[in-house]
Amino acid sequence: MKVLRFNRNTLQFPKKDFDMVKEGVISLVISGVVIVGLSALWGAPYRAAVTNQEIAQKSPILIERAALGDLDGSGTIASYGPPYNNGWNRQENGVQSIGSFHPQTWWGTPYPIDAAKTDVLTPLHMLANASDNQQLQSALQTYQSASVKQQQTWDSNLSKALKKANVENGNVVIPRGNYGPVALMMNDELSLAKSGMLSGILDRSSNQGVYRWNVQNDLLFLQGKTLHQIAGKINMKGEQWGINHDEQAYPGPWWLTPYTFLYQIPPWSTSSAGDELAAYTIAVLFAILLFVPWIPGLNKLPRLLSIHRLIWRDWYKRLESDNTCANCPLRESCRQEFRNSKQAVVKSGFAPACYQNGSNS
Amino acid sequence: MNWTKSIRTRMSEKLSWENLLPSEQPVYVSSLVYSFGVFTLSSLVFCIASGVIMAAKGPLWYQYSGLGEFLRSIHFWSVQAFFFFMTMHLVVQFFMGSWREGRTVTWVIGVLSFGISVVDAFTGYLSRGDFFSQWNQVQSKDAFNGAGMDGFLNILNNGQVYGIHIVVLPFILFILVGWHLLAVRSKGVVPPYPARLKKKDGV
Repeated sequence: MKVLRFNRNTLQFPKKDFDMVKEGVISLVISGVVIVGLSALWGAPYRAAVTNQEIAQKSPILIERAALGDLDGSGTIASYGPPYNNGWNRQENGVQSIGSFHPQTWWGTPYPIDAAKTDVLTPLHMLANASDNQQLQSALQTYQSASVKQQQTWDSNLSKALKKANVENGNVVIPRGNYGPVALMMNDELSLAKSGMLSGILDRSSNQGVYRWNVQNDLLFLQGKTLHQIAGKINMKGEQWGINHDEQAYPGPWWLTPYTFLYQIPPWSTSSAGDELAAYTIAVLFAILLFVPWIPGLNKLPRLLSIHRLIWRDWYKRLESDNTCANCPLRESCRQEFRNSKQAVVKSGFAPACYQNGSNS
Repeated sequence: MNWTKSIRTRMSEKLSWENLLPSEQPVYVSSLVYSFGVFTLSSLVFCIASGVIMAAKGPLWYQYSGLGEFLRSIHFWSVQAFFFFMTMHLVVQFFMGSWREGRTVTWVIGVLSFGISVVDAFTGYLSRGDFFSQWNQVQSKDAFNGAGMDGFLNILNNGQVYGIHIVVLPFILFILVGWHLLAVRSKGVVPPYPARLKKKDGV
């Protein structure tokens, strides 16, 4: 008896007319009207970048505290560790580690920063030389030739004083005390920032040549309390779903929601390696999405959920109204989705109703 | 074995004009959800077109010029549209189990395209040159450093970030999307799950 062999490649579903080019052109026109229309109506969000100069003029104490933190090693970047430095006195506070897994340290310090030198001493030396400022020259010499203990005493005294400091006419006013040359140095650092030249000097230090493409040192000078204060006011901090939203009334990068969500719950929100943990959690979740076709259970989930019945409702309605499947000899093979080399065999002369005639081979 | 002949044979079988530019589709292709894919591509066209113009004028132009700002707005909204349609496309394809019957590669390339797009969009946000860029650069440095990416990516280096945004990732995305499209066209649209049969039908 002659039999017919079927596999999925030899089956052809009934066809209908379709114009791919027309569909493409129509979708381009619709997308264009919507995108250009939204752009014309609402524009796009933009909040001017913050500069050292602006902070120095509005919140001079912040600048002095940031600079002093860089000088005395209490600032975040001064003791960060790789990729910027080896910490402050070998104490690294910015290295994240899950157990003994800390890939951050694998590459050494490719983007070196000696915070005291980069952010304070070098800019002040340049200022002193450019303006022939003998007082500042002498203050720098005094500071650099003093013992570490002496430096720490001056730094610590000024650090305490800055907590009680006031601003008068844009200048930082502190109580009298034993600050050595550091008070003068910080005042001059503030003047440098106010003039706008500090950013230029910091940019110069993170770019080896004439071109200024790397904003690392300028941004890292601002990155602690300074930027956090501004970000907090517009709900941009991590615990405020910061990265997930843009300026109010504009949609932000909402596709980062799973990532930002992690920062709202423990252990990601509480761990000292929260960023590393979040990055690898997202990597694992992405791998799961990538390998869905091979993950038992997950690859069958869409079949269990009935949403496909909604998407293909016309098709299923048609099968039901024709009672197509009732006596179909292919139904078992169909149920198994003809995977691999699976074939179905039926008697000659039978044409399954949901496929086109002549589809067998 | 003649590699050239083998490639030519496979390509001409899989990438026939009938597959590449079909004028017919199976009858089950009858839902608006099928348009998410083509709308994703249309939005991508506007992303690329606006991006190319902005790249030609340089990364400062869109921060001070009125026309530049308009182009940046088109780029912004086309990215929003692109992600909206791509996410809908991904979700719907999951519910359709679209990796079935020899389409696993199509799924994998699609998901990879999604991942590359997310990173590309992020580097775009960092290239805006405003407070949002500054803030996200300093915030994300800990994640990139902590994950061990610091060896080859300094997220605070605008030159590197901008180059990655306008060339490296779009180039990879272009290849992946092209491959995804060819895979979809050569395999055809995934067929529906078999119908659930009623008990009276004997199953």
